Amino acid sequence: MARRTEPPDGGWGWVVVLSAFFQSALVFGVLRSFGVFFVEFVAAFGEQAARVSWIASIGIAVQQFGSPVGSALSTKFGPRPVVMTGGILAALGMLLASFATSLTHLYLSIGLLSGSGWALTFAPTLACLSCYFSRRRSLATGLALTGVGLSSFAFAPFFQWLLSHYAWRGSLLLVSALSLHLVACGALLRPPSLAEDPAVGGPRAQLTSLLHHGPFLRYTVALTLINTGYFIPYLHLVAHLQDLDWDPLPAAFLLSVAAISDLVGRVVSGWLGDAVPGPVTRLLMLWTTLTGVSLALFPVARAPTALVALAVAYGFTSGALAPLAFSVLPELVGTKRIYCGLGLLQMIESIGGLLGPPLSGYLRDVTGNYTASFVVAGAFLLSGSGILLTLPDFFSCFSTTTSRPQDLVTEAPDIKVSLPKEGLEED
Amino acid sequence: MRALPGLLAARAPTPRLLLLLQCLLATARPSSADGSAPDLPFTSLPLREEMMANNFSWESHNISLTEHSSMPVEKNITLERPSNVNLTCQFTTSGDLNAVNVTWKKDSEQLENNYLVSATGSTLYTQYRFTIINSKQMGSYSCFFREEKEQRGTFNFKVPELHGKNKPLISYVGDSTVLTCKCQNCFPLNWTWYSTNGSVKVPVGVQMNKYVINGTYANETKLKITQLLEEDGGSYWCHALFQVGESEEHIELVVLSYLVPLKPFLAIVAEVVLLVAAILLCEKYTQKEKKHSDEGKEFEQTEQLKSDDSNGIENNVPRHRKNESLGQ
Repeated sequence: MARRTEPPDGGWGWVVVLSAFFQSALVFGVLRSFGVFFVEFVAAFGEQAARVSWIASIGIAVQQFGSPVGSALSTKFGPRPVVMTGGILAALGMLLASFATSLTHLYLSIGLLSGSGWALTFAPTLACLSCYFSRRRSLATGLALTGVGLSSFAFAPFFQWLLSHYAWRGSLLLVSALSLHLVACGALLRPPSLAEDPAVGGPRAQLTSLLHHGPFLRYTVALTLINTGYFIPYLHLVAHLQDLDWDPLPAAFLLSVAAISDLVGRVVSGWLGDAVPGPVTRLLMLWTTLTGVSLALFPVARAPTALVALAVAYGFTSGALAPLAFSVLPELVGTKRIYCGLGLLQMIESIGGLLGPPLSGYLRDVTGNYTASFVVAGAFLLSGSGILLTLPDFFSCFSTTTSRPQDLVTEAPDIKVSLPKEGLEED
Repeated sequence: MRALPGLLAARAPTPRLLLLLQCLLATARPSSADGSAPDLPFTSLPLREEMMANNFSWESHNISLTEHSSMPVEKNITLERPSNVNLTCQFTTSGDLNAVNVTWKKDSEQLENNYLVSATGSTLYTQYRFTIINSKQMGSYSCFFREEKEQRGTFNFKVPELHGKNKPLISYVGDSTVLTCKCQNCFPLNWTWYSTNGSVKVPVGVQMNKYVINGTYANETKLKITQLLEEDGGSYWCHALFQVGESEEHIELVVLSYLVPLKPFLAIVAEVVLLVAAILLCEKYTQKEKKHSDEGKEFEQTEQLKSDDSNGIENNVPRHRKNESLGQ
């Protein structure tokens, strides 16, 4: 039977894209729309908004810190069982949350349990996607990540509708049922029959090899810096607009505008990343720099038209850098280490994601407005893009392929040995 | 300085005489609570004894009318404390000011005294002063200017409105919930809660830890109901008492049992299970087909190799024989 040495770039890969689309919708869409539940939690438990926000923070933190675990498990068992287990955990967390009697209960059920469920789904899926695509990897990743934007759109009003009919307990129950679809998405993740696929060495060996990989470490630092500034507008734009005396409705409309351009940016960037020759890192640096610039310009803009234009620019550029951030990784570390690499990357960059918003909030408290916050966020993005310059092949004219000739030669003896194992694994 | 009672008639004899008298009498004006009162030609103020003695604040309001005003002009005023009130209407017309008939009414009954009329140029001014002590003095006060048509300006005095929730509050059996009523910038003397039993309003008593009434600020009240039962659902009324009246607001509470969201939940779980089963079965089925076709291909390949090894002409016969033996 002919074994592919190159990723198929199609076929079942598109089904994996669909699965990744729904997964990113169910994980990040739910997380982003959770703000709708906050008001209810504050009223139901009589707690301050700050304490209630920890629920989502813990969820995001566990999701990102737990990514290496998800990756390691999927290197060993394949992505399918890991993602399905993750789906069950995420749904279970929400189910238990619907019976909550205190805020701690919610921290543990949504934050810890659902968070670990989400950790087991996202990284393995994206890694699996990278295994299926090489020439059209960016487009595939971009399309898959549009799930986040679309679901943020759809879920916020949907959750609001649920709350008005079932209150928060019933709504959490139904969101749990919704999250169970992650299991179905996981079932779609057939491991591809790739020659490179068998893990060379266990997860631990891969991890150590990654930690000694210079470009990978530099890339991680770059993404961490980018992550620090990335989320700030989503959290603080509305507050900044209210400082400028905007009404809540136009402010929400501005966010929607940014969300739409985010969506468009993802797809366009994905297509562009594959169409333009040369390393993807260059495009990533372009988008990151533009995002940083648009962020830094936010405090300067006062007129509504300028703010709308900046929101569109920010949405487009930040959406554009998302799929590329995931596409660069296989070029750096190779598909065999993709699971581990993605997990480790997510874990380290989450530090940025966790520290960025509180830092921004602190700057706001100290200076009295969001000027410093946005400028600092822009600075983080620009410094991250600066580090991207140091990645290998940045200035080369040729793009690196996932399988370099020398890798194949050394792999040849391994292939024969692992074939029977592959046959067993597929069941 | 008190104006002479003789000069204060219910209706001024002639506008011009009154204007002359007012120019002669100069009295200091007390500060008005509402700073929107325009510069009026009244320089003397008919101060009644009550208004002198009390230390209530002053509320001044003004309405401008013309002969062409088509819609009745209304001004809504929110009041929660007893106040001295100073209402002024001005009417601009091109016709003869003397022919205009000026009256004041509260709700629908005519007011007899206590208002002044004066004129400057082509504008007629009328002023009415009174004190609001309790709810009896609250209502609608209107000034009427009658030429051929009657022009009317109305001042509506109301107690502050309460804000509850427009949507019904949903909760579950065994849970606890908080009903909130608040009003902007107002300080009621007293808050009370009522629940409706059919059409009867029953005050909510603080019984056995089930109901707790408190409020963090003076302008809000919270009713906390614990250990909800399905019967606790229904209409609740929060009632605010002011010196000058009462205000109330309606809140709807719906208590659901767990079965209500459970049914759609189970339906969706069943759907997911079916979906997963379908996907896995589909894959097993296509894999089985693949294996069969793969096996067939492998046999053909081995046959190809063997036939390549052997001589050309004799190829067909051995191959067929071998195929048959393998097929069995």
